[in-house]
Amino acid sequence: MADDNKLTAEPRTQFGKGAARKIRALGKIPAVIYGHGTDPQHVTLPGHEVALIIRKANQVLDLDIAGKSQLALVKDVQKDPVHQVIEHLDLIVVRRGEKVVVDVPVHIEGESFSGTIVVQDANTVSLEVEATHIPERIVVNVEGAEEGTHITAADLELPAGATLQGDPELLILAVTTPAAPTADDLAADEAGAEAGESQAEAPADAAEESAE
Amino acid sequence: MLIPRKVKHRKQHHPGRDGAATGGTKVSFGEFGIQAITPAYVTNRQIESARIAMTRHIKRGGKVWINIYPDRPITKKPAETRMGSGKGSPEWWVANVKPGRVLFEVAGVDEGLAREALMRAIHKLPLKARIIKREEGDA
Repeated sequence: MADDNKLTAEPRTQFGKGAARKIRALGKIPAVIYGHGTDPQHVTLPGHEVALIIRKANQVLDLDIAGKSQLALVKDVQKDPVHQVIEHLDLIVVRRGEKVVVDVPVHIEGESFSGTIVVQDANTVSLEVEATHIPERIVVNVEGAEEGTHITAADLELPAGATLQGDPELLILAVTTPAAPTADDLAADEAGAEAGESQAEAPADAAEESAE
Repeated sequence: MLIPRKVKHRKQHHPGRDGAATGGTKVSFGEFGIQAITPAYVTNRQIESARIAMTRHIKRGGKVWINIYPDRPITKKPAETRMGSGKGSPEWWVANVKPGRVLFEVAGVDEGLAREALMRAIHKLPLKARIIKREEGDA
């Protein structure tokens, strides 16, 4: 957990889309905190600070809610896909020393052997870690890796205190040689461009025939 | 060219153009993607044209994902035909794209090459779009 994740949260008393829209208009973000059998708490968070923090995955916020300190893990972020505005946050209560299961991003470093490409199969890996020591990312070095190299979840170098959850055989990345376009592919590309309106009718006609 | 193998109804109503995409709004498979900003009917020919523009620029290496599928038929009446006499014949196959939808994704190439390839693909599409990068916070 970064030290600068301290935020002041204001308890929320008005609910519903009208109140939420007013909060967003002020540049703030409505959020809810729940977990550990506690009653859900509705709060308002400062918009800009939160946006900067949640650029990274699995951030733990140190909230000051009306003078009371509370650690909370970002569980879900609702974002407008077009305007990229954060609309709402779901925060889950965590305690110091508690272990949580989170999906940690996998980051690839280095360049594989000349002429090969690295195909990343899984972007995240599920880990059980201490809530206050969640790794930002798991780094995989593929420098000089040759064709046929497969890295599974079990091959990852995990930070101290972290244990892998889920399938250890989960494929993280594979190093392969890209298939060069054959003469047939190029011919198909050209034929595809030429084939026009006649194709638009084809499946519909076939469907009609099958119905009869 | 992408085209459904079998359809339940060969002539359908026009797909709705309102609202924003509710799913497929993040880069899920690759590292970079094209995100629609405006709605559009994207035809199978436009999808194919964009794919070819992208793969030809990348040349070798890299992987391309097409996240949309043209499964909606659009009909058209022949020119100089009087109104009536039923619905026209299927003319195009389109994907009904709404703002926020990620259309294509690319991985396995450096950022400069990926952005140039995606920009070439955007020029083949009938909509406004932007290039987005996979965010770790989205994971």
